[in-house]
Amino acid sequence: MIRVILRKELLELRRSPVLLLSMISLPATVVVVPVALLAWMVHAAPEQALAFIQEIYGLRSSDPAAAGLAAIVGRNWLPMFLVLPIFLPIMLASQSIGGERERRTLEPLLAAPVSTASIILGKSLAALLPALAITWISAALFCLGIDAVAGQRVLPDAAWIFGVLVLTPLFALFGNAAAVVVSSRVLDSRAAQNLAATTVLPLLALLVVQLAGRIALGPRFYLGLAAGVAAADLALIALAVRLFDRERLLTRWR
Amino acid sequence: MSAIEAHGLGKSFGGRPACRDVSFAVERGEVFGFLGPNGAGKTTTLRMLAGLFAPDAGTARVAGCEIAPGRPGGPELRARVGLLTESPGFYDRLTARENLVHFARLQRAKEPVRRSEELLERFALRDHADRPFAELSRGMKQKLAIARALVHDPEVIFLDEPTVGLDPAATREVRNVIAELAAEHATIVLCTHHLDEVERVCSRAAFIAGRLVAVHEIRRETLLRIELAAPFQPDGVRGLCRSLRLDGNTLLIEPGAEVPDIVAALVGAGARIVAVAPHRDPLEDAWLELLAEAGGP
Repeated sequence: MIRVILRKELLELRRSPVLLLSMISLPATVVVVPVALLAWMVHAAPEQALAFIQEIYGLRSSDPAAAGLAAIVGRNWLPMFLVLPIFLPIMLASQSIGGERERRTLEPLLAAPVSTASIILGKSLAALLPALAITWISAALFCLGIDAVAGQRVLPDAAWIFGVLVLTPLFALFGNAAAVVVSSRVLDSRAAQNLAATTVLPLLALLVVQLAGRIALGPRFYLGLAAGVAAADLALIALAVRLFDRERLLTRWR
Repeated sequence: MSAIEAHGLGKSFGGRPACRDVSFAVERGEVFGFLGPNGAGKTTTLRMLAGLFAPDAGTARVAGCEIAPGRPGGPELRARVGLLTESPGFYDRLTARENLVHFARLQRAKEPVRRSEELLERFALRDHADRPFAELSRGMKQKLAIARALVHDPEVIFLDEPTVGLDPAATREVRNVIAELAAEHATIVLCTHHLDEVERVCSRAAFIAGRLVAVHEIRRETLLRIELAAPFQPDGVRGLCRSLRLDGNTLLIEPGAEVPDIVAALVGAGARIVAVAPHRDPLEDAWLELLAEAGGP
């Protein structure tokens, strides 16, 4: 049953060019803007740019200017790739229950002999898989772009590999579960999207603080973050199944 | 054993009763009408019987599955019944075929693709099967929804307002489909507020107005309606009638003899006949009487 739901969700996604475009636009920006900025800095005044950025972040490096700049930009941009896997599933999962209700397809779905867990898992996988695929492809393109501008291999380093392979699935799961929880309780999918998107805010704040050079996020921080998000994921998934009340979904609209 | 047995079913939402004391039985192969005004609790009762949610009071057995407070019947019940929901409820971007196959798989139909093709053919939808659902006409959408209710060969079929919002042509198409199903001895609960729909295909109908008011036998025998030019005492022809009712200048007769003989006897007794016509069981009268007795919904 999970596979049946997943297949239908992916088929619908394939037939929704506007949704696909909006899913791709943010990752494209996240990849293109910093790489282009870096390329411009390296081309215009690499020594001055490196000195300026090293001063902001309090770093010293013996690397050539281009490589030094690339390493700093690349490492500090990692939290942005943690925002993506939260944000992308929210776009899909917030429509999962609320969207079914709006399109009046929820009653036939609930009238079928499908368990709550299968519905939630099927819809969650349909939101997670494309989100992770887009995030991983974007991350790979970002690393290739940074390395090309630096003229040597700078990314991915250990933090990047850990972040992309371990943290992004955990964050994607978090965004999805938050969206499913909200989607099964609010009136429409747009409200669900807006509410669920607020879960991105703490991470965005972290990104801004790091980009401003106020903190430097190290391995210990990322390990702690992984443990915290994994625990939050489990709690949210349990909550999503618990809050999925068939009767309420069919009879209460507010 | 009956296909459906309901005993004192009741359901409230937020303290407001949607329906109460609903008790009736539907035999296998019977087409049973479920009549009531909007908001009378018809859809709520149907949803309980289709396993969508549990009653607050009462019990029911549907297709061999038990329903009770806290126990809505579960996946086993939902696999044994087919439900036509008030709105067709398909995915606009998927084609008619993709939609039907998807629900066939969800409903655990044996050979979902073959069964879907069979139903597309039966309901004359095959030529439109590759069009997105959003592009189908309202009548086609409704026929597809009926096909979905049948796709897993359910033991009981619940049809919730099957012709609501349809134009006359689509209404006729859908009514023909229901009549075909009735002729095949499917067990159907037809929920509607169109009395003529019930008269056409049902053998009995439950009147519901918050609570179950009554179950009415629908008579198939044709009555004879005789319009008279002036009041007349028909005592002389009672022997030729199974039943006879005089309402002003109108005689309603259940014939016990050939119609020409009854007419001749009436004329012989001095009646001045204006018109003679067949008259079907007036469900509407019964419905209005029952509603009045119940004090409305």
